[in-house]
Amino acid sequence: MIANLDALLEASVRTATPLALAALGETVVERAGVINIGLEGIILAGAFGALVGASAGAVGGIAAGVLAGVATAAVFAAFALGARADQIIVGTAVTLLATGITGTVYRTAYGATGAALTIPTVAPLPIPVLSDIPLVGRALFAQPAFTYAAYLLVPALWWFLYRTHMGLALRAVGEAPEAARTVGIRERRLRLGAVLFGGMLGGASGASLVLAQSGTFAEGMSAGRGFIAIAIVVLGRWHPVGVGLAAVLFGVASALQFFFQAMGWQLPYQLFLLLPYALTLVLLGVRRGRGAAPAALGQA
Amino acid sequence: MAAFLPRPRRFSTVVHAIPLLLTIACSEASRDSRPSDPASTFRVALLTPGPISDQAWNSGAYQGLMRIRDSLAAAVSHIQTRTPADFEENFRHYGSEGYQLVFGHGFEFQDAAERVAPDFPRTVFITTSGSRVAPNVSPMVFGFEDPSYVAGVLAGSLTRSNVIGAIGGTEIPPVRSSFAAFEAGARAVNARVRVLTSYVGNWEDASAGKEQAIAQIRRGTDFIFQNADAAGLGIFQAARESEGVAVFGANVDQNSVAPDVIIGSVVIDLPHAFLAVARDVKEGRFRPGVLRLGSVTGVTRFVLNPAWRDRVPAGVLARVDSTERRIISGALQPPRIEFVDSVGRLP
Repeated sequence: MIANLDALLEASVRTATPLALAALGETVVERAGVINIGLEGIILAGAFGALVGASAGAVGGIAAGVLAGVATAAVFAAFALGARADQIIVGTAVTLLATGITGTVYRTAYGATGAALTIPTVAPLPIPVLSDIPLVGRALFAQPAFTYAAYLLVPALWWFLYRTHMGLALRAVGEAPEAARTVGIRERRLRLGAVLFGGMLGGASGASLVLAQSGTFAEGMSAGRGFIAIAIVVLGRWHPVGVGLAAVLFGVASALQFFFQAMGWQLPYQLFLLLPYALTLVLLGVRRGRGAAPAALGQA
Repeated sequence: MAAFLPRPRRFSTVVHAIPLLLTIACSEASRDSRPSDPASTFRVALLTPGPISDQAWNSGAYQGLMRIRDSLAAAVSHIQTRTPADFEENFRHYGSEGYQLVFGHGFEFQDAAERVAPDFPRTVFITTSGSRVAPNVSPMVFGFEDPSYVAGVLAGSLTRSNVIGAIGGTEIPPVRSSFAAFEAGARAVNARVRVLTSYVGNWEDASAGKEQAIAQIRRGTDFIFQNADAAGLGIFQAARESEGVAVFGANVDQNSVAPDVIIGSVVIDLPHAFLAVARDVKEGRFRPGVLRLGSVTGVTRFVLNPAWRDRVPAGVLARVDSTERRIISGALQPPRIEFVDSVGRLP
């Protein structure tokens, strides 16, 4: 088991990366008082965009993935912010829409029974010196660029939310939009910006699944990560640092699940599969995150 | 906390627009090719539990449906079901439209088919890998164990670490049974071999499939038998990024999907099986019962990747060939965890 500890930690960080990207984006969205459960669809759109863009190299794949995420978020924004429709209903519709469109376009472009395209995955970039640290070095510092982007986003978002005027305005919109409006804050513009930013990171999350992990696209490959990311935001109490840690925790629980199954113990595999979810539920219960939620969350 | 005045919402227009959008987006999922005269046209429908682009279980069924369309001039339709709650409704849809033959492609469709079938006595319902017989519900049971056993013989002979793996989507009985046959085949040639078994938990998450494979590879696994459909694509990727790891394709001949890492495929000739059943139904020769189709009938087989033939020692190749011959002749019957309920068998 100890011999596999480094492998376990590497798998934890790999699994946590797409979740962290999506959850950090959603943190900003929810801080602005909007809950976008279309995140699942945004991740899937980002994954498909990355597949299409990857024909122009890894950078093309990332760009196309991010673009697809932003476009999907824009659909959400048009209905939820533009038309002030119920955010939960619009978010659900956006996820279904993205599932349908990615599947349809994939089959139209690559044939009805699929092509199982293989995309060269982006290689991990080991950081000199840091990646030589025993045990955690390779897990933390020999990862693809997506992971480093997530590391940098945690302090960057903390600084943005708590040390800039715009961050303060954004949080005000999430707590008391009426009050924010009376002091001249442009509520809808901030919310739109937050939703599109969330789409950007959701798209990057999807792109990381294709470009940094599986090296291919499969219909429905987001496999619930958008919903898990939303739970991670709650678990992290809507704070970038907390959200980053919660993503890592979920990554560790998932990696344990992979390794427990590979141990060959004679136990029902469902026990292992539910480990990350059970952990999330328990922690949500213990932590009582309610008080930390933006007061105007989900209100049109 | 501020109290807000209720704001008028342009709610209904938006909410009504969404289903419309969805219908447009998802219309590709069901391709109805409507015949001009429903009474005289042979109509066949297929429900798949996953996307037909998986290059595996669902792709094979769709190819079968296309072959029925082309060979029997049938009008065909396909729906990818979303959740088990949809199964019954989708069956009912085709029954009420007067389809003569409806395939529920997977073990999971059995219960829904049995509930719906009595209402549509003129429709034949086939559950692929199903488990029970009813007057107009017949399970098509594949001898997937036959080629799985052969794959086990190959893996057991070639493994250097004496650790081999099996990774499935979810633990449905047909998959569990074929994994047991794979293990039996490996043990028959190598008493020291150990088989690790993992399940992804779904059939789509290619990323999680890759991680399951990496976890097994780190435990020393050098041959992986995967049966995880689209999630299996991630397993191929894990093998590509590791030294000396080979994977078995499943359900359809996947050898060309990842020729660098797939040593061979455990194949069900789904198009062949689908067409045979459809022809019987069309010509009125079909009799309900358990349709058993294995290597003896040529429906399942092991296909070695031609690119790997030179890398396998001649003695091992001979052993694989003789195993397959003995199965086809009936001299060798790989173990099978029976999931077909004989109580439901018709007299």
